[in-house]
Amino acid sequence: MIMGIAATSPRPPVTKYTNLKVLPKDISSKELMGIMVDDFQDGLGVTCNFCHANAKDGHGLDFASDAKPEKEVARNMMRMTLGINKKYFKIKHPVIGNGALDVTCGTCHKGHAFPGGD
Amino acid sequence: MKKQHHHELEYIPDGDSDGIDRRGFLKCMAWAGTGVFWMMTGGVLKSYGMSQMIDKTTGQLKKGLVLPTTDFSFVQISDSHIGFNKAANPDVLGTLQATIDKINNLPSAPSFVLHTGDLSHLAQAEEFDTLEQSLKSVKTEKIFYVPGEHDVTDNGKLYLERYGKGTNGDGWYSFDSNGVHFIGLVNVTNHVDGGLGYLGPDQIKWLEKDLKPLSSSTPIVVFAHIPMWAIYPQWGWGTEDSAQALLLLKRFGSVSVLNGHIHQTIQKVEGNITFHTATSTAFPQPAPGGAPFPGPMKVPEEKLRSLLGLTSVNYQEHNHSLAITDMPLIKSE
Repeated sequence: MIMGIAATSPRPPVTKYTNLKVLPKDISSKELMGIMVDDFQDGLGVTCNFCHANAKDGHGLDFASDAKPEKEVARNMMRMTLGINKKYFKIKHPVIGNGALDVTCGTCHKGHAFPGGD
Repeated sequence: MKKQHHHELEYIPDGDSDGIDRRGFLKCMAWAGTGVFWMMTGGVLKSYGMSQMIDKTTGQLKKGLVLPTTDFSFVQISDSHIGFNKAANPDVLGTLQATIDKINNLPSAPSFVLHTGDLSHLAQAEEFDTLEQSLKSVKTEKIFYVPGEHDVTDNGKLYLERYGKGTNGDGWYSFDSNGVHFIGLVNVTNHVDGGLGYLGPDQIKWLEKDLKPLSSSTPIVVFAHIPMWAIYPQWGWGTEDSAQALLLLKRFGSVSVLNGHIHQTIQKVEGNITFHTATSTAFPQPAPGGAPFPGPMKVPEEKLRSLLGLTSVNYQEHNHSLAITDMPLIKSE
């Protein structure tokens, strides 16, 4: 009989992200996951592998890799979103994932990867 | 407080261009919020929606209801999304606790509980801790888990640290209970286009080996997060390579496949295999194709609990007999 046994383990060390170019380099895991799940996944109706390449060892995803061009598009979209909030909505220090933003991914995407038609 | 909700579906009372009318919306809501009570009798699995069984005023089994004799029972809960705090349900812990209360009020304690994934919303250590703390109060011998895609956004590292002991690969395993062979599969770690689930060749190979020594008369229960049949592939509600796994299960006389992910109950029978998907303990999602996109569905705060089926609303009680119920409860004379 094999069972999945729940056990409390010590808290993991703070995750170091190695290839962040728009998001803050010291972002917490919770903040980063919140952006990925709530802004990208729900906002665009996609899952992680829309931007992230599969890991070469065949296990999960290689989150640091830039192999998929969609990842760079996502970075540009974040830059654009931050720019719009700053320039047109006068938000001094816009941050992706911050509820103070007037314009977010979902503003245009509305649950679709490509606004205006797939 | 966010100015904009993260793309949650809004409740629109009189219908709107998004295709969610009031009736359809309430139907969706009636699917949410509770667990499923499973009874195994002579190799045949029967399910009951727990909202149907428990009297909301007394917390006990509804008067006049008698459960049939059974070999053993277990409960399936799913999609707790601990850490989710958006408008669709800012109190996912409260609704989980209400589900736990219902489990603890069942006439006989279930042998075990299956959680079919999305334990957490963001795969954070504190979210897993919170879930674990809550589930400690469930009156049962054991709780078995499989991960949802929300639990493995770190490639499953934290999940496996906590729940992966004694499992294989990304967390798949099997066990036997009361003559039934249970198989927990993982279809969320590896990704394919469109958000579909994927088992992968290693897991399918393991499954083949796991099933090999079993006689065809052994009742089989498979549980995994993403549905193992194509409910609505456009929304990623299916598993790309599930046909390979189902082929291996074809020789068995009784196979039940239990999934979560879509936050609503849908059932399908295909040959020897019965497929079920479970409700969420956290928030509802629209019916397949019933909205422009899937996602948390927002309702007015004061209505959430009643619409989740945790307290009142006759509508909900009467409409709970969706596909979830294989057979009606037996009423005593």
